[in-house]
Amino acid sequence: MDENVIKVENLVKYFEGRCVLDGINLNVPRGCIYGLLGRNGSGKTTIIRILLGLEPPTRGRTFLLDAESTELSARLHSRIGYVAEGHNLIQSYRVGRLIKLCKDLSLQWNDEFFNHLMETFRLPTDRRVKELSIGMRAQLNLALAMAIDPELLIFDDPTLGLDTVARRQFLELAIDLIQQQGRTILFCSHILSDVERIADRIGILAAGKLVVDCPLEELKERIKKLRIIFPESAPPNLYLTEIINQQIQGREMVITVANWNKQKQTILETFKPSSCTEIPMSLEDMFIECTKPNPKYIES
Amino acid sequence: MFALIKREIQDHIVYFIGAAVFSAVFIIMSISLIHQYDPKVPPVFSIGLGIPAVTIVIFGICAMGATQMYLDKTRKISALLSTLAVSRSRILLARIITGILAILILLVPQTIASGILLRIFTPPIPMFPGMVFEISLVVFLMAFACYCIGLQAGWNSNPLTPSLGALFLTCIFIPLILIKGFGVHIVVILVLFIAASLIRTWRTFMTTSL
Amino acid sequence: MKPLIKGLALNYPVKVFATGFVVLTLLSIPLFWFRFLCESSLAVRMPDDAKGVSIRPSGLVPPELEDDPNVVIHSIVSASIHSELPQSLGIFDYFIARFPGERRSNVYFFSSERDCMYFDKKTGQIVRFYTDKQTMPDKTTREKIVQLYIGPEGVSETPGRTLGRFIEPIIDRGSARDFILYDKKLRCFFKIGFNQRTVIKGPKLGKDFPPHKPIQIGQLSKTTFELHYLDWTPPQIKVPDKKDPNRTDLRTELKPIIPTFHDCDAGPYLLVLDETGRVDLLDKETLEFVTGAPELPGVAGRLPGPETYFGPKGSVTPRELLDYEVWPLSLTTYFFENPEEVRVTFGDPSFLFKRSPARVERKYLGMFAAGLSRDGTALALAVFDENGREIKTEYSRLPKQEGRYTTYVESSKAVFFGAPWSPVLTIGKFLAENLHPPILSVASYFTASAFEADAGHRALFFLPNSFIAMMGRERSENIAERFMSALWFILPSIILAICLAWRVSKDAVVVGLSENARMYWIIGTLAFGLTAYITYRLTRPKITLVTCLNCGKMRRPDMAKCHRCKSDWHVPELTPPAWRVLKGAEEVDGGSTADAKETVAE
Repeated sequence: MDENVIKVENLVKYFEGRCVLDGINLNVPRGCIYGLLGRNGSGKTTIIRILLGLEPPTRGRTFLLDAESTELSARLHSRIGYVAEGHNLIQSYRVGRLIKLCKDLSLQWNDEFFNHLMETFRLPTDRRVKELSIGMRAQLNLALAMAIDPELLIFDDPTLGLDTVARRQFLELAIDLIQQQGRTILFCSHILSDVERIADRIGILAAGKLVVDCPLEELKERIKKLRIIFPESAPPNLYLTEIINQQIQGREMVITVANWNKQKQTILETFKPSSCTEIPMSLEDMFIECTKPNPKYIES
Repeated sequence: MFALIKREIQDHIVYFIGAAVFSAVFIIMSISLIHQYDPKVPPVFSIGLGIPAVTIVIFGICAMGATQMYLDKTRKISALLSTLAVSRSRILLARIITGILAILILLVPQTIASGILLRIFTPPIPMFPGMVFEISLVVFLMAFACYCIGLQAGWNSNPLTPSLGALFLTCIFIPLILIKGFGVHIVVILVLFIAASLIRTWRTFMTTSL
Repeated sequence: MKPLIKGLALNYPVKVFATGFVVLTLLSIPLFWFRFLCESSLAVRMPDDAKGVSIRPSGLVPPELEDDPNVVIHSIVSASIHSELPQSLGIFDYFIARFPGERRSNVYFFSSERDCMYFDKKTGQIVRFYTDKQTMPDKTTREKIVQLYIGPEGVSETPGRTLGRFIEPIIDRGSARDFILYDKKLRCFFKIGFNQRTVIKGPKLGKDFPPHKPIQIGQLSKTTFELHYLDWTPPQIKVPDKKDPNRTDLRTELKPIIPTFHDCDAGPYLLVLDETGRVDLLDKETLEFVTGAPELPGVAGRLPGPETYFGPKGSVTPRELLDYEVWPLSLTTYFFENPEEVRVTFGDPSFLFKRSPARVERKYLGMFAAGLSRDGTALALAVFDENGREIKTEYSRLPKQEGRYTTYVESSKAVFFGAPWSPVLTIGKFLAENLHPPILSVASYFTASAFEADAGHRALFFLPNSFIAMMGRERSENIAERFMSALWFILPSIILAICLAWRVSKDAVVVGLSENARMYWIIGTLAFGLTAYITYRLTRPKITLVTCLNCGKMRRPDMAKCHRCKSDWHVPELTPPAWRVLKGAEEVDGGSTADAKETVAE
């Protein structure tokens, strides 16, 4: 059995002549909580849909639980819980009927856990899905995904539409799951504070590439934002590589650098700055720095 | 599989009810026509009444196939089902089995009733040896073939394509019965056509994005 | 099984063949109806003069009757085309063929439940119901329904294995009384006598020359719902008006010179149609074939071959005719107890006499035979004498006045150009045949004779009634020259196929199909024409092409290299950053640390 639950090899996806994913390589090991981040239209949902076999790739291959995504069997599907962006449920069904359908189609169903969730979320079973609010649909989707006791959970913006309390409940649920051994979670979210709380590995998509793919703690070590003050005007070029962002104002320079190491430190010191302080960054700050387009430092 | 078939039946219950009603109407019509039966005279009236009735029924079956696929595409039903413990092939197979069930509900009672009525009301001589079976088989295959046309035409977001496309193709296809009759030739053509249509539908459904 | 099904469904060639068959079927059906419309319109519009043929005098009436001075109208035999092409459609043929008395029905006739006869396949016996009048001791009559079971070994009122089994019997359809039966599998004639309850078995047909393969006996015609009318009228004499016998010149009516009964009676013989088209005579008493002179085509005659578009056909088989009919003519002389009372009739209407004759002499005079061509546009009428010699054969032709002279055009030609709008319909038929796949048209040339005539009107994929198939049936000596001439009839189809193949070839390059796939598609389009082109459009890869930075042409994004210039992939619209933060610290994408050291040193 492969250690990696999710494998993506050279994935390329085009929609009507427009490239969305350009050679993505990604591995999610077993037991990992992987947060996949990116701006709108960066291809997060596309990767997830291709992984689940809902979308064919243009090129490349993807694997889930040691099986190619285009050949996922029903048994493998039963080990995967999925919450889709927009909560893809059959709108015309009543909640009770939808629950019964999912229950009948699943190979294992944790009735007790599901009923607990339904009580917690206070979801009515006699109303049609389209009559529920977006938040209630999100909760229902979540409950249906959790009830099958999945080995792999894939969440595509699961807290979209949830109020603060419900979001907190979801996070606590996710933490409970994390504590159960062997679970793997891949999730996308725009609420980075939530991701920072629970993810242990991060991936960031930008311009069709996976520009970040490393553990969260390591990411914080490797991306540094520095405020440097020079005795005279700041030099235009520090001869540093992997500069994510750079702003110069007189003697002050604010620079964001990837893969900060001693070598880069040494190079900086040759310019004899007056002071060099690190600006602490949250995951959100790092995400903005990584995905903000900066024409000066775009690869030529 | 049973859950999938049950879902399809519940979602398209109107076709099953229609099939049962049509079947009952045809049986009543057959009972009234059999009283006018005269073996010396060709059953022109029965055939004349039967052909448009069969045509309407077959249009209905085609519409069922088109509706099944169109609703799936627009309501993203398979997109949800594919994420459960179900494969695409099972979803499509359940859909096809549902279509076959609807056709059988329509035809089997009529076939049985026709056989019984002919046995009761016609002289005990082999006037129509095997005709009831042959005609029923061809009508079943024709209905199934038109159902497959509906499946192919229905997988489209634009509502016009399933309705007009399926209608147009069915209008072209049904007169094959006039050309070939009810013999072995039309059975061969229909079986091959059904196999080809199902292969096309299968491939489209298995490779399309949901 | 599962991998096989999955493989079949997802395999590209399988998909192409499946789509191709669907397209071929859906395209062939409207083309069929268009051809059907043109052909039936042509048949309906055929000039009336070209639809009939007659022979006067018929040639079979004895001279003493034909040349009688009282005869005002000589005997005439005539046939005319009564085109009802819809009968050839499958649905009509299906029901008509199963009607009692027709070729697919086991019921030989049905008047009522008390008067019918059928073949019971389960028991292998013929069952006959009829009503018999019984005289009771108190002189009253009573009707009794009699049920007889007839097998090769006997006749009985109860069924049983002792009666034996018939396997594939054919009977004289025109006979409701004692009749003769032939079993194709037992290869033997049987004479069934109802009154005597007897079955007389004839000798088994051996491998004599010519070999006998009877397909029909007695009343010889293809359908009872006739596509053509065969009619014979004996010599007519004037009869004075009954009210004023003296006034014969004013009010008179015509009647046959002797009583005439239109039955299919051949006197002491029975007509037997062979599968080669030869008509033989079977002696009703001995149940043996009458042997004739070796040089004669048949003891009684043979089915006449109508003239085709390309000339007369010699011999024809029943399969090659859309319809045929054969009428024997016999003369029956009845001698009564009074020696002066002698009655002569055509046919055998003995049941009409109140008194039974003392002696009956039956003489076979000959037969009339008419054959309707495969496409229903040409008729041949032939008369054969009692020895099987052909007296005369006439063909349906359209008379054309050219000045003072009258020429005759064969009806099979006149149908295409001889009536208003018929040239338009002919061109319509020609164009419809040329939209058909060329390979199937060529196959129709080679299989033209394989189709039975009426089945040809129901053919969907092959075209047995097309112009090219007509050429295929011609028996000219130079086969190659005939084939090349036939290709002219599908020249538009070939040109269309070439144009479509060129388009497919160009498009295949654009969408990046492999060389092999492109070659197969070109061959397929040349063979199947419009069908292949539509199939290609439905099955070609549906991928939006993007511009290659290297060669500037459109390329497929699902291929790693451009299929035109073989260059690697570039996505110019995406401009990802140079840096990467991946996995471990040493895995850096973009600038290396060595480059950075050099830059600092500078």
